[in-house]
Amino acid sequence: MSVDFWINVGVLAGIYGIFTLGLQLNAGFIGLLNFGQAGFMAIGAYAVGLLVVDFGWSLWLALLAGILLAVIGGLFVGISSLRLRSDHFAIATIAFAEIVRYVLQNAEFSGGNQGVLGYDEEWRTLSDWALAKLALIGLGDYTQLPLFIAVWLAFLVLLAVLIVLQGTPWGRVLRGIREDEDATAALGKNVFAYKLQSLAIAAALAAVAGFFVALNVTFLYPSVFDPTFTFFGYAMLVLGGFASYGGVVLGGILFWTLLEGTRLFDTALSAGQQASLRFIIVGFFLLLLSRLRPQGLLGNRAEMRVRP
Amino acid sequence: MTAPAGPILEVRGAVKAFDGLLAVAGASFDVERGSITALIGPNGAGKTTMFDLLSGFGRPDAGTIRLAGRDIAGMAPYRIANLGLVRTFQLTRVLAGMSVMDNMLLAARNQPGEHLAALILSPGRSRAAEAAARESAIGLLATFGLAAKAGDYAGALSGGQRKLLEIARALMTGPSIVLLDEPMAGVNPTLGRDILDHIAALRSARGTTFLFVEHDMDVVMTRADKVIVMAQGRVIATGTPAGIRADPAVVEAYLGTPHAVAP
Amino acid sequence: MAGSNEAGKADALQPHGAGTLRLSRPVLLLLVIVVLFAALVALYGFDATAQATVNGLVAGGYLGLGAIGLSLILGILKLVNFAHGDLLVAGAYFTILFGWLGLPLVVAMLFAMIATAALAVLTEKVVWQPLRQAGAGTLQLFLSAIGLALVLRFGIQFFAGSQVRTLGADIVSSITIGPIHLGTLQAVALVTGLVVMAVVGLALRFTGIGKEMRAFADNRALAEVSGINTRRIIDVTWAASGFLAALAGILYAVAIGSFNPNFGVTLLLSLFAATVLGGIGNAYGALIGGLVIGLSQEWSTLLLNARWKPAVGFALLILMLLLMPQGIFGKARRRS
Ligand SMILES: Nc1ncnc2c1ncn2[C@@H]1O[C@H](COP(=O)(O)OP(=O)(O)OP(=O)(O)O)[C@@H](O)[C@H]1O
Ligand SMILES: [Mg+2]
Repeated sequence: MSVDFWINVGVLAGIYGIFTLGLQLNAGFIGLLNFGQAGFMAIGAYAVGLLVVDFGWSLWLALLAGILLAVIGGLFVGISSLRLRSDHFAIATIAFAEIVRYVLQNAEFSGGNQGVLGYDEEWRTLSDWALAKLALIGLGDYTQLPLFIAVWLAFLVLLAVLIVLQGTPWGRVLRGIREDEDATAALGKNVFAYKLQSLAIAAALAAVAGFFVALNVTFLYPSVFDPTFTFFGYAMLVLGGFASYGGVVLGGILFWTLLEGTRLFDTALSAGQQASLRFIIVGFFLLLLSRLRPQGLLGNRAEMRVRP
Repeated sequence: MTAPAGPILEVRGAVKAFDGLLAVAGASFDVERGSITALIGPNGAGKTTMFDLLSGFGRPDAGTIRLAGRDIAGMAPYRIANLGLVRTFQLTRVLAGMSVMDNMLLAARNQPGEHLAALILSPGRSRAAEAAARESAIGLLATFGLAAKAGDYAGALSGGQRKLLEIARALMTGPSIVLLDEPMAGVNPTLGRDILDHIAALRSARGTTFLFVEHDMDVVMTRADKVIVMAQGRVIATGTPAGIRADPAVVEAYLGTPHAVAP
Repeated sequence: MAGSNEAGKADALQPHGAGTLRLSRPVLLLLVIVVLFAALVALYGFDATAQATVNGLVAGGYLGLGAIGLSLILGILKLVNFAHGDLLVAGAYFTILFGWLGLPLVVAMLFAMIATAALAVLTEKVVWQPLRQAGAGTLQLFLSAIGLALVLRFGIQFFAGSQVRTLGADIVSSITIGPIHLGTLQAVALVTGLVVMAVVGLALRFTGIGKEMRAFADNRALAEVSGINTRRIIDVTWAASGFLAALAGILYAVAIGSFNPNFGVTLLLSLFAATVLGGIGNAYGALIGGLVIGLSQEWSTLLLNARWKPAVGFALLILMLLLMPQGIFGKARRRS
């Protein structure tokens, strides 16, 4: 059991924590079943990779562009599909994420399954600088520590921003829409506009997560953005707590500890079987939590009300 | 206040069909500014459907609807609400997973904090608006006997209390016209009288117009200035309570025979 | 004055009932298909188009049969069953299992369909019925379906591995009819698919249980009032949906030749597309929807690289949801 291993678990929990903040904003606070989050993440990550590698942009500028593109994707999905019934909307968003992955896998510009490589030089420079500083306090050996710090810094800042936003009158309108969008519209609130904002912000969060995924995996290929990762996000969400941003932190840490922790056990299983087992565990999680504690550990039952 | 002349609501030839069934079949009527008007009619007459058309929850297949002279037929519900027309629902729709106070605050109008840009640019204005809204919410909740419940989840209220909260919430928007769909149904009669008194007082003080659907004829006869009678999607009579009571067409619509004795 | 004018307009509007529109949509579909076929023949020649059409019918067979269960469950239980694709996979892998146990291939297939039907009923008893009784919301149902899908798919992968497999029917011969070449196995899948589709269609039309299922999917409240045994219908629907899903999975395996446990998720969105196209809850619609999706995907290979085939399914799904969410054969839904 190495420290590096747990640093990596922390990186994953943080990255998918940012990703899941968006799902919480959608499903938990406005009642929007966004199942296309992995698609927005892919847009953000590939925008970063391709702008740096093919167009020579600075990594940081590319990050901004990636966020912007994901937001545009969110607006596109929202404007076209938000008027659908909630279950149809969910299916449409999955289809969107599949299309994104499919295009990345098959189109010329994205390198297909070969992926995109060599966009993270600027990050390496920064990371090495940070490692040099960390060496002063004896932590210079943990090469992933700078990424861990960057991810969690971003995660906690974004978490704080969302918590503050949720406490404002703006956040109250979101909850009103989650509870009953007709009643909220009858009080003069533009339901569509709020849903669109919520979706666009979620897409931006996914793009930030995608940026960190890009830094973490060091080269981009389509299956990193399989729609299954959206389901992982929802597993974190229901584990930590419905309609609770704090729950995303708890859910993220628990989920990835349990998931990656299975690697530590010496079993007679083959690598493939171990991988399968991890997904089976996630599946059971979703089944059991939905049945036994749909609001999650920190969630509030009274707010668990996503109607058809 | 100096109200502009003319009826606040003018409906002409409104039609709404569901699968070939004409729920509203060419209804025309006016609602006078500052009046308390009752909309009555047998079950299935199309009253709720009419409310849906007025509040933007249904687009009329034909006809015009004017609010203060402005055509609102088919306009989005939130825009109609922002023009000063709010409604309550026959089947109450409180926001169950929010506190009673949050239900009220959500209804407050002109809250800059509901818009992201304003929230970031002028947080002070948002806080001031919030404080003002909270004050008027407390006042309204007291009037409706819900002051003690302000912190509870709305989902924990009784059926009658939900009805009250919905009315209080509608009034919280500071409307010029309120549509109430069976506001007395399920409310304890004493409290019901208080609400009616409050409505009358609001009309006198602010000139707010009320249009309400009600099945209790005593309430209609004693509280309404004017009555609109619907049957089978049409307006079959309009007039004062006394005039309506004597109208043979109304008697027929309710009792199904032209020779029945007035109710 | 204004009043009478508007009333006249209203009357003119009346003949626009729902009936005329509902009738014309299937006719419109047929027209579109014929026109597309003609256009493709003109552009790419008869031979290529005919070949793609036959391939499309092969795909349409398994997509249509696979979509029936998805559509009925969605119509009856309002359940978006993400695990449905994995029932197809279960059908193929049960066949491998029973074959490995020594049963002849055709018997193994039949047993696999029965086993998958049992599996589907089991999910109803263990997962769905308790959730419904607990009054689960949309999100809960969604997440449970996804959880079940993961358990099934990776459960199969755990035991069978993720490597590519075949059903073990190693026939490499092919049939040639005029310009059309078809592997013997594809031909078998095509004929079986079309025959079973016809049988299912007739069973839905003429058997008591078939009529009850359709009535139930069409209007649950009304069906319940008219004294249908709800529990039995739901169980039978699950069994039928599992059975047909397994058959669809087997037909896919036979027609394509090799597969791995992921083929269910890959097909799932195409199955959704068939369901939405045919009108949710409409079993005939699902059959037709499957054929349309199969044809579209194969026809698209005339225009685009074949690797874009699945994307055609996704795109059709989104287009249908946006433009015609009630589908070709569905009714416009009432506001709740
Ligand atoms: N969404 C809908 N779809 C189909 N039919 C509808 C719909 N809404 C209303 N109807 C029908 O339209 C007619 C008028 O209904 P409406 O609810 O407007 O009557 P109402 O006057 O409010 O009756 P009540 O006094 O019982 O509330 C009824 O026959 C009803 O069944
Ligand atoms: Mg009514």
